[in-house]
Amino acid sequence: MFDPKLKEALARVQKPGRYTGGEPGCVIKNKDEVDLRFAFCFPDTYEVGMSFLGMKILYELLNEHPRWWCERAFMPWLDMKEEMERLHLPTYALESKDPLTAFDIVGFTLQYELSYTNILAMLDMAGIPLYSKDRDESWPLVVAGGPCVCNAEPIADFIDMMMLGEGELQLPEVCATVEQAKKEGISKKELLRRLAKIEGCYVPSFYDVTYQEDGRIQAVTPNEPCAPAVVHKAIIKDMNSQKLPTNFVVPMVGAVHDRAQIEVLRGCVRGCRFCQAGFIYRPMRQRDAQLLNRAAQDLCANTGYEEISLTSLSTSDHGQLEELLDDMAPWTEKEHVSISLPSLRIDNFTESLIEKTTKVRKSGLTFAPEAGTQRLRDVINKNITWEEIEKTCNLAFKAGYTSVKLYFMMGLPTETLEDIEGIAKTAQQIVELYYANPDKPKVRSVQVTISCACFVPKPHTPFQFVPQDTEEMLREKQQHLLHSVHSKKIHVNYHDSKTSFLEAVFAKGDRRLAPVIEAAYRKGCVFDGWDECFQYDTWMETFQQFGLDTAFYANRMIGLDEVTPWSHLDYGISHEFLVREYKKATQAQTTQPCNRVCSACGANKLLGGACFDYSKDLVH
Amino acid sequence: MTTVRIWFTKTGEASYISLLDLQRVMQRSLKRSALPVWYTMGFNPHIYMTFASPLPLGQESLVESVDVKTAQDPVDLETWQQALSKVMPLGIQVTKVARPAHKAEEIKFARYRVVLPAGAKTSLEDYNQRESAVVMKKTKRGQKAIELKEYLPKVAYEEQDGQLKIELLLPAGEGTNLNPSLWLTFLQDNCGLNITEASVLRTHLLLENMQDFS
Repeated sequence: MFDPKLKEALARVQKPGRYTGGEPGCVIKNKDEVDLRFAFCFPDTYEVGMSFLGMKILYELLNEHPRWWCERAFMPWLDMKEEMERLHLPTYALESKDPLTAFDIVGFTLQYELSYTNILAMLDMAGIPLYSKDRDESWPLVVAGGPCVCNAEPIADFIDMMMLGEGELQLPEVCATVEQAKKEGISKKELLRRLAKIEGCYVPSFYDVTYQEDGRIQAVTPNEPCAPAVVHKAIIKDMNSQKLPTNFVVPMVGAVHDRAQIEVLRGCVRGCRFCQAGFIYRPMRQRDAQLLNRAAQDLCANTGYEEISLTSLSTSDHGQLEELLDDMAPWTEKEHVSISLPSLRIDNFTESLIEKTTKVRKSGLTFAPEAGTQRLRDVINKNITWEEIEKTCNLAFKAGYTSVKLYFMMGLPTETLEDIEGIAKTAQQIVELYYANPDKPKVRSVQVTISCACFVPKPHTPFQFVPQDTEEMLREKQQHLLHSVHSKKIHVNYHDSKTSFLEAVFAKGDRRLAPVIEAAYRKGCVFDGWDECFQYDTWMETFQQFGLDTAFYANRMIGLDEVTPWSHLDYGISHEFLVREYKKATQAQTTQPCNRVCSACGANKLLGGACFDYSKDLVH
Repeated sequence: MTTVRIWFTKTGEASYISLLDLQRVMQRSLKRSALPVWYTMGFNPHIYMTFASPLPLGQESLVESVDVKTAQDPVDLETWQQALSKVMPLGIQVTKVARPAHKAEEIKFARYRVVLPAGAKTSLEDYNQRESAVVMKKTKRGQKAIELKEYLPKVAYEEQDGQLKIELLLPAGEGTNLNPSLWLTFLQDNCGLNITEASVLRTHLLLENMQDFS
């Protein structure tokens, strides 16, 4: 039943269950009865990919179509990659075990810049030519979607077509177009012309990029009449019109997030200036509580999951959250299902919320103040105050929590060493709060964990203009933080600044990076986001080899009127708004959440009217 | 409270599910079935389950079983089998649902079908000509030397479609448990077998009197 070579590989690798498929909920169709085959590729491990909600949504959506079959493929971990190369096993999809070359469309989701080499590896191991120009209509169409598409110019030469915005809308149309093209036997170029007309579809080869002498972009110009000068993202205007997934493929070997998930809202009202997701998914649209409750119940019944998470960028901003939790309480208790609420905000964390989510188990509490001083929190527009942190921690300690995890960023614009000390001070004050709390749990001691990431300026945010701190600066700040912490109750974790640096280069990179990425891959770079695999020196040597200066991409201030590699990609946010927000940031001025006051970012045009009914009080 | 024994196969894709993962897979499958299984009490309620004689990763079996409890009385075994058949992953087929006749501790032997490529004939001949074949087995108290010839003096094989088919009878259960992988590893280390080309299928679990465990 398995190919003997695959069996041999599976006998030699760690956790072979990652490579076999067959999980409950996976869709098997007869390939002779389908007209279009789509390989949904996640360019990281199975465990990471199987945690990703977007894949589950699109998998169900495409497979509902009787003549289409969507399968999954993941990047094999190093041991399996080696076995597959040794045995000449091509990258395959888990459902049919067919190689990627058997598919009409090979689609990658771009969740993270440091998975770019994995995309090349998955194509290369399948024997698919890496460059779009080297593939004619006899090869699968290689497409990409996901957040990084907002500037995936570094890999634009490898991808035939990218999808901006929400895949639920454009993907079925793309599949129908490819199905039709197959029937008619048209050329790849003609197919791409048709695809370019679909909302949010971007065909990189239809655009020429010219550069100035100093390396900045001169212009991005369409070279095909059908290609729009600016590509606008696709958007679902009413989230209630879009069916929620009612079944998941349930992984059998531990996924990172192995639980049912329902997406309560999309987008975010907060406008934190560093957060790309907060801008590219605008405007915030929420689903009705009733609809969510029903979907959650169906999903738990169909998957058998014992935990359900209410996911979104900021779940506590859902206007009917308490109502939803009340609706879910009876059946979740009866079915032994626990509810988890990630991405809560400190400022609207209430006593009843704590109570509703901790009926089943009490785990640690996680918050993201992001910056250590009020001044810097105002700069990044993370509108929370120490008083709110204090109130929330007191509530949590009273409810029995004894561990608090705090997320911060380092290297934020305008940051000084005083702000770094502020991180340690915030943690220290929380430790003191615990011991001052008369209702704290008896006997146990408190544990405060500081988790510190390096700030990476991202396109389509007000901080797209700012340079990233150099490695030396970040290292100095990390040392300063360690020296500022004096309590054994406080534990500090920080990320390697080198991976963040490469992330910044790719995030703001342009098409000249394609040969660098290819060369680094050929030298053995894969899984760059994994510390144990990241080969910093190889990367730096490769940039040098191609005469490209990494600092140009990561550590340079971009002019407020400069043409960027992503200027032709529109997510509904106006350039003027980003400039306005950037200027306010430098003066530590905050901006209100957009369900309170509209700040005219431009995203309302996507809905064709105001994003919120401001006559109602929408903020809790 | 009644105990129900669910019998299932573990082949193909499912042979790569480890015991730890299998527990979670069963837990969720039982949940999907909506059958009235009994949950443990306490802070983290979960479905009570006991597996008889778990199998190493990568081997297949026709005779796996898990015991669950139910407050249903009498137990509608037919409905159970139908409900469970709909919710299992690929490679797990529910073959029978029954009240247990024996305790798992009564398992004494297991029968396996091993398939090797035709080229492995020389390795088998080599093994059959040896007088002694000692392997080290990891136990809870460290390593223990085991003479394989005590259990498998000579191994007969049948050639079929370019493959060698072998039937093995080995002690199993809570006392001495010898898995075919011990013998295969010996062949790999001493007689030139490529172990990754071997497949193992457990076909029977047996009691002291050679009756099927049920």
